[in-house]
Amino acid sequence: MSTQHSKAAKQFLKNQTYAHWHDATFWAVRTKRDNMAYGLDEWEQLREKASAIKRHTITHLDEYLDQFATNAEKNGVEVHWAKDADEFNEIVYGILKNHNVKKMVKSKSMLTEECEMNPYLEARGIEVVETDLGERIIQLKGQKPSHIVMPAIHLNHDDVGELFEEKGISKEKGNHDPTYLTYRARLSLRNEFLTADAGMTGANFGIAETGDIVVCTNEGNADMSTSCPKLHIAAIGLEKVIPNYECLAVFQRMLCRAGTGQPTTTYTSHFRKARPTAHHMHIILVDNGRSEWIANPEHWESLKCIRCGSCMNTCPVYRRSGGYSYSYFIPGPIGINLGMLRDRQAHSGNVSACTLCLSCQTVCPVKVNLGDQIYLWRQQLDDFGTANPEKKMMCRGMSMLYGSPGLYNFGTGLAHWANLIPSPIMNCGLNPWAEGHDMMKFPKKPFHELIKELKD
Amino acid sequence: MASKEDILKKYRANVREKFDMPDLSDIAAITYADPLLQFMNMVKSVGGNAIEVEKGRDINELIKELYPDAQEIASNLPEITIATRNPDEVGRARDLNGTDVGVIRGCFGVAENGCVWIPQQMKEKAVCFISENLIILLDKTQIVNNMHEAYRRLSTHDAKSGIDQFDEYGYGTFISGPSKTADIAQVLVMGAQAARSATVLLL
Repeated sequence: MSTQHSKAAKQFLKNQTYAHWHDATFWAVRTKRDNMAYGLDEWEQLREKASAIKRHTITHLDEYLDQFATNAEKNGVEVHWAKDADEFNEIVYGILKNHNVKKMVKSKSMLTEECEMNPYLEARGIEVVETDLGERIIQLKGQKPSHIVMPAIHLNHDDVGELFEEKGISKEKGNHDPTYLTYRARLSLRNEFLTADAGMTGANFGIAETGDIVVCTNEGNADMSTSCPKLHIAAIGLEKVIPNYECLAVFQRMLCRAGTGQPTTTYTSHFRKARPTAHHMHIILVDNGRSEWIANPEHWESLKCIRCGSCMNTCPVYRRSGGYSYSYFIPGPIGINLGMLRDRQAHSGNVSACTLCLSCQTVCPVKVNLGDQIYLWRQQLDDFGTANPEKKMMCRGMSMLYGSPGLYNFGTGLAHWANLIPSPIMNCGLNPWAEGHDMMKFPKKPFHELIKELKD
Repeated sequence: MASKEDILKKYRANVREKFDMPDLSDIAAITYADPLLQFMNMVKSVGGNAIEVEKGRDINELIKELYPDAQEIASNLPEITIATRNPDEVGRARDLNGTDVGVIRGCFGVAENGCVWIPQQMKEKAVCFISENLIILLDKTQIVNNMHEAYRRLSTHDAKSGIDQFDEYGYGTFISGPSKTADIAQVLVMGAQAARSATVLLL
């Protein structure tokens, strides 16, 4: 009866020390976010505005995309359009091939994860070097991100220390101090920045009125990736385009406060033109499903997401099950919803990873109704053919039981006899209600009788 | 290959309901009684340093005092006479690697988050990131309260300072403190891929 998510979560929970650390770490991030939010009287007003701007923008996106592309082209940028992941990868490869690129450094981009760009390019002989420290760690480890903002959060400093020793990045064996490891990674990545032929960035925002792309980082790796190599390619999902600077101010103020609890990222960089000593800048606008998702009457608002990660930081299920328990590459509440939009059959297992506490939509800076959407997906599982047959049968049984007061009262009246069943039988693996704890004891007097007595 | 028109046509056809742009003029954004003090406090709280420079103080002397061991100092600012490298004149951006101190000029600061707006004013912007230590010169009268004011300012030409908020280089960045990361076990470390320290000299 367990879903794919709960089976995977069981693996995660085997290491209780780590599981507790994971939970506490994300709760600390959530607390930092709260401090930021409470520090601004206008926080809730900003959330309202951010949500309304996004609603407006994504329902007029055709106009804003056209304006964005026109202005970017006026700035001398080459703008490309990709309908899906395959086209995106082909376009990137085409540009790199034209410039005879052997090595490309890149800053963090969930879009390139979505399109599985790195393996595509590597299979064609292009070395891709991730430059966000967390992304670099998991790239060296051959893993996928377990969080969209903190991709290597599933590893501790000993894991990273051993990895760096194995890859020859750190010199002092056994020195797993994060400051030392970060410094060694800095030296190694510095060499990559200086010797790469191209740099790729994602974009947190595209500005229709000016044609800028805006990239927010703490490490400065997007700026390093574009300061030395002669070619800059930016990959941007359609929904990242917003109208103007007035709107950007709202999102810039919220992105980092919501995501990591900082007042701003260290760098908020605007790229409008290529460097004077570089080739043309390229922007690739990627659809890959977005033009279909906007048609979904119940789930189109997932396109408002600005990928801050606050919904996963606060989610009690994410905090206690980790990013790898989800089948979609984006975990947590937003990942559940985006995964279902992408492929219902493949990702239905994730919709159980929700207690419907709605903490996610309470913190979401753009007010995506994440928990409500998960509830709606659950109602449709039977239509998708992904409903669990045992749960379905149980629901039918319960529906019969609760629909017939006579049967219900008869059952609850007799239930206390079940207390006499010896514990080894009652609490065996066959009873799903006795998982992780003992079966509850049934009271001698059912609730209905107690109420009646009180009334009398 | 899909064309722009195909994607836009499909998107347009699939939008079910259209929503209006909200009025943003009524955002009650935070302001400060003393924006300069708030700015300095924020720069420090994000791991940077902010120093008010006394009138008549020699900037070059001050930089030497702050970084007595610096060998390579990169700047294209005319008043930085101790510069050993010029980002306008290097052959390649990578030649700026190994810079101990980079000195650049900021346009204005933002009190709410310690950001300084740095439009690219040099041929190779690498100097802003590749330097081990970054010094930003900033006019202390040029502090705005929040990002709404900052972006309003970026939408207009600044006649007073004579600096275009976004000049022909077509690049600009807000910098708040030094490069940092917490990607290893959530431990905050200053100095990830770009400058390991950032000092704002308020003139």
